Formats: sequence, structure tokens, C-alpha cells
Amino acid sequence: MKLTGAQIIMECLIEQGVDTVFGYPGGAVLNIYDALFEYKNRIKHIRTAHEQGAAHAADGYARSTGKTGVCIATSGPGATNLVTGIATAYMDSVPMVAITGNVSCDLLGLDSFQEVDITGITMPVTKHNFLVRNIEDLADTLRKAFIIASSGRKGPVLVDIPKDVTAQKFEYEIKNVDFHIYKTPFPKAERLEKAVKMLRDSEKPFIYTGGGVIAAEASEELKEFAELLDAPVSSSLMCQGGYDQKEARYMGMLGMHGTKTAALAIKNCDLLIAVGTRFSDRVLCNANLFAQHCPIIQIDIDTAEFNKNIDVDLKLKGNAKEILTHINELLPQRQHKQWMEQIFEWKDFYPLEQDCLSEDEVTPKEVIETLDRLTKSNAVIVTEVGQHQMWAAQFYNYRSPRHFITSGGLGTMGFGLGAAIGAQTANLDKKVINIAGDGSFHMNCNELSTAANYNIPVVELIFNNSVLGMVHQWQKLFYQNRFSETNLDKTTNFEMLANAFGVKAFTITKREDIEPVLKEALELNEPVVINCLINPDYNVLPMVPAGGSVEAPILEI
Amino acid sequence: MSRYNDKEYILSVLAKNKPGVLLRIAGLFSRRCYNILSIVAAQTENMEYSRILIVVSGDDRIVRQVDKQLSKLIDIENVTVLNKEEAVVREHLLLKVERNMENNEKLVQIADVFHANILNVEKDSMIVELTGDATTINSFIELYNPYNIIKILRTGSMAMVK
Repeated sequence: MKLTGAQIIMECLIEQGVDTVFGYPGGAVLNIYDALFEYKNRIKHIRTAHEQGAAHAADGYARSTGKTGVCIATSGPGATNLVTGIATAYMDSVPMVAITGNVSCDLLGLDSFQEVDITGITMPVTKHNFLVRNIEDLADTLRKAFIIASSGRKGPVLVDIPKDVTAQKFEYEIKNVDFHIYKTPFPKAERLEKAVKMLRDSEKPFIYTGGGVIAAEASEELKEFAELLDAPVSSSLMCQGGYDQKEARYMGMLGMHGTKTAALAIKNCDLLIAVGTRFSDRVLCNANLFAQHCPIIQIDIDTAEFNKNIDVDLKLKGNAKEILTHINELLPQRQHKQWMEQIFEWKDFYPLEQDCLSEDEVTPKEVIETLDRLTKSNAVIVTEVGQHQMWAAQFYNYRSPRHFITSGGLGTMGFGLGAAIGAQTANLDKKVINIAGDGSFHMNCNELSTAANYNIPVVELIFNNSVLGMVHQWQKLFYQNRFSETNLDKTTNFEMLANAFGVKAFTITKREDIEPVLKEALELNEPVVINCLINPDYNVLPMVPAGGSVEAPILEI
Repeated sequence: MSRYNDKEYILSVLAKNKPGVLLRIAGLFSRRCYNILSIVAAQTENMEYSRILIVVSGDDRIVRQVDKQLSKLIDIENVTVLNKEEAVVREHLLLKVERNMENNEKLVQIADVFHANILNVEKDSMIVELTGDATTINSFIELYNPYNIIKILRTGSMAMVK
């Protein structure tokens, strides 16, 4: 059957199981949007306010479902506006396919109107990218893009399609493309045996988990493993919900803003097992002072992550789910009663705390804990980047994977609202809440219009302290209170702004407001903004200062 | 920036002949702060593939990282770190030197000693060509140095396992 390039794109998206795409129309994608009009019963398109929002929405869609997210933008500025979103997905290994239009082939390379070399620009922030100059390559290229994005260590792929290619006609048929870029490795038997021996010999094992657990859907295997090994579990920011945080053996985050329990446990453990994690500098803090006294076993699908930031003693290369399944079969039940009792003792002694700075004040902790209770620990929590992001990670109880969506690697302020829109689109039965700071909200608040237009019922909870809190905290600690450019203007009226977009808004100013406001906002089936006023002097604690050891966080300032 | 204990490694990379593949490799080196000392790229016996030989400076750890990061690029089929002892390593040199009646004989003599080819002779200059390992080529250039070298063109290392 002969179809236009644009129709072939639609068919390929349907082949890949895509039901929703996020994007923004423009000259070079006119044909694609014309096809979207034709296919609107099969592919839902959400037009964001800005292409960056579309990229973040595709990302939020992918993180909350495990499926590959898709975004579409026109050539030139449309394509460059995607870049931050693509880089965000790349740093957190999120499967995404970005489709950009480009000028027609005969205009390529001539500095034509709205032309940029987007494959050149995105090379460092994509797993791979393509420029499709020939219609006969279009379908297979799209199929390859989806295979690359979702195999091995997942990541974004960009497909740049000149306008004339979307207009040309070509024969289309459904087929599987024979393209094996990646064969999932599996460790050799002797390596697994060595791992099991190390695990059996350990008296004080420590499990450190990362985003790979969620990407590999390995939560159940992880739970079984932790119970078999009788070990405590900590996680990086990317593995919130990879392990049920209400379980006793969960110690909280490890790293720069990790818990004191995790810090003490890593200091005292005799074996560190890292699952699906890349030893990011936010976890290591000072690499030379990280777990130097004990052997490390690392499970990862990307061999380039072995011995990159830290040397490890045993490398198990492959999919975390498959490797843990195998280890669980080989490992006999272990008992570390004393070690676990010690962990429980630390947990009791060093809970995460945040006291009111003055009497009866709203604390972020109380707001998030109330939210946790009201949503029965089952909402999808999205965040922006900064203090509120850490509080969201610390004080909500994530009980299952894909319920915490945050820009961990790139740390993209302005990520959350777009991502929340994407996550809500994919999870109609769930409450999706974007926890934001006033700084991050200001960056991309334009996406409130998207939520309003499509009645996407996200809750935007803004911790409004009129400062760029995290930078402010560092200035307070290390720059002698010289608050350079971190005191934000206080003139924006968030309630009126929300209302202008057609969105309801609430304000929390005192403790008594917290529960009734949250309750009312959560019951609405429409987008809503909550402006929660907090004191700018709340800090994120514990904290490991730059260059410090992960084993010695400071607990108060 | 090379450091005291840095060594040279030769990477032999087999890549699909896709547009931008060299850019992907060069970009990877630059953003990960690896040093390329030289690079040679050419089509192989199979038109669909290119062989790219890259000389890298660094330590063992860096070269392992380079190898693994390169292997992740979709258009790259295979990366081999060549051991200099087990490979034939060759560079190619074109050298243009000033010539006059007094030094003419000396210039030809040097070329003869190295079995270099004289490719072109003009009234006041000549071009010689030499293939050899880096040390030979360095010595050759050293001998021509006193005679006012006008231009040097030198490829990176090509290498093949014995």
C-alpha cells in the first residue's frame, strides 16, 4: 500500500504501540500534523505550550509507564527547544523517540529558514540519531529508533525528517526489522559463583540500588534478594520506589542528601552490592572516601559504567532482573540478626527530621507527609529540581516503582510540570502531583495552559519561599550569606497566574490549612495549583558538603 | 594535556560508513576528555565499512573507558586495542624541502639511506615521501631539519595485527 512519508510515520508509531505523542506544529512538520489529523482516533496528540514541555511530557510518559515516549517538533527552533528535554532523558536513561521535521532535502545545508543541524546538535545527548533523506529508509529507521531507545541501557533517539520526505509516497507494509544492535549480556557462571561466595561470606552486606532496578522491572527480584541476603537496602535518587520504602530494611537514600542510617551502614558494612547504578558523584560525594574498606559487587547493563567513577571488585554485566533471579536461585537464606538490629537501632535514632523554625509554621515535611497519608502512598510524585525535590524524595513513602519522577542526572529545573502532564496522560487512574519550588515553577509555568486546555488533572504543589532554595542554602553555608541573585521577586501572584490560565488555585499559609487544602485540591478532577508559603530558612538535611565523605553527613546547620 | 605516566595506545575501529560517523567518534573523545594523538580513516575492502585507527594517550584505565564508550556507538561494529608488539605500525610522510646546487646531493643521499622516494623536483625545492614507523619518520625529519623544510604532511599511524 502506497502511503506518504507522514502516513508511514503514523503507521510506524502504531506498530510500536504508541497511543500518545506530545508536540508542537510548525512549517516543516505540516505533513506530519496533517497525518496526525487523519489518525487522530488512533494516536492522541497533546500540544504543549513549548517544545521543551513536549520533550519533558514524553519523558514523564516513559518514566511512569516504561514505554518509549514520543515527541514531535518542527525544524530549527522547534528542534532546539527539545534539546534540554532530550538531554534530561539521556542522563536518566529514559527511552524516548524525538521526531523533528527539517527543511526539504534540496534546502539542507543552505542556511535555509528554520534550518538547524539537529543531528549534529543532539549527538552528545542521544543514544543515536538519524537524518532520513530517503523515503525508502523511513519506516525501518523509525523501527530502529524504537529498538535502540528501549534496548540495553535505554535512552533517547532523534529522527530528523526533511519535509519533502514526509510528502513523498512509498510502499508501506508492517514488518519486523532485522536489527540486533544489542544482545543483553549475561555473566559467566564462574562470576556468578564468585558473587554468591562473596555474598555468603559477608556478615554485614549493604545493598545500594539505582535507576537500573526500575528500568529492568527488577523490584520483585530485588525484594527477594534483600530478604534472602538479610541485608539493608538504600537507594539513589533514581530508585525511589524500587524497594518498598515502608519495609523495615529500607534505610533511605544514600549520598549527598542521604540518611544518617545509610551513611553509618556503608561505613560499617563488609560488602557493598550495587544494583543498576552508576556511582554518580551525587552518591559518591568524594570518590576517594567511598566504601574503601569493603569489596564492591556491581550489577549493570552498561559495561562502560564499570570502573568509571569507582573501581569495583566484581562486575556482573547484564540485566538486573535476570542476574538477581539467577543469584536468588543460588543463594541460600542468610541471617544477619545482629547487623539488622544495628540498622534498626540507627533508623530509630536518626529519623529524617525537620523542626518548625518558629511556632506553628508550615514545614515541607508536614505538607509532604500529609500528602503521603491522603494519597495512601500511591500517587505519582513528579518534581522539579532543588530543595523541594530532596524533600519530596525524603518525606513521601514510595512503595512501588514508577511513582517518583525526577530529573536526577541533568537536574533540569522546569522539568516537572511537563513531565507531570505526560505521566498523568498515561495514568488516568492515578493522582499525579508535581512538587515544585517557586523558582522551577517560574521557568515553565506556561505548561499550565496545556493542563488546562486538555483538562489534565495534575496537582501543582509549589513550595514558595521566594528564594532559589538550594543555591541559597549553599550561599548560606559556603558563601558567607552573600545571597547573590537567589532572592526571587515576590511580585508574581501565583493564584492569579493560575486563574489566568483557567486553573483553580489554593494557598497554604499556616499549619491548619495543610490538610483541608490538600484534601480539596486532591478531590478536584482538574488541574490545580497549590501555593504553599514556607520559610526560606528550611534546609535540606542531612548533607555532605563538597569534597566530604558520604559516611559523614552533617545533620544540622 | 598528557600526564607523566601516559602511554600511547592504538585503537582499531571498524565503523559503518554512515554520514557523521567520524564526528560521532571525535565528539565522544572531546566530550569525555580523551586525547587523540592521530587519526586515520579509510574505506575497507567492504564498501559499507570504514576502518579508523586512532592513537590515544592515556593510562590503562582511560583506554578501557575509551574502548567501552566507543563500542556503545551504534555505528561502530568493533573496537580493538592493538598491542604495538603484535602489530605492524606505519605512518606516511610527505616532506617538501628547499633545494639548491650546494645541498642537492646531500638531500638525495638522505632519501637514499631511508629508501625514501623522490616524488617531485622543482628548481628550488623537492618533495620526498617515506613510509615507516614513527621513530624512523622522526629521524628522517631530523636529518632534513638543517636544510629548511618548507612543509610536512604526515598521516597518523596505520596498524595491522601480524
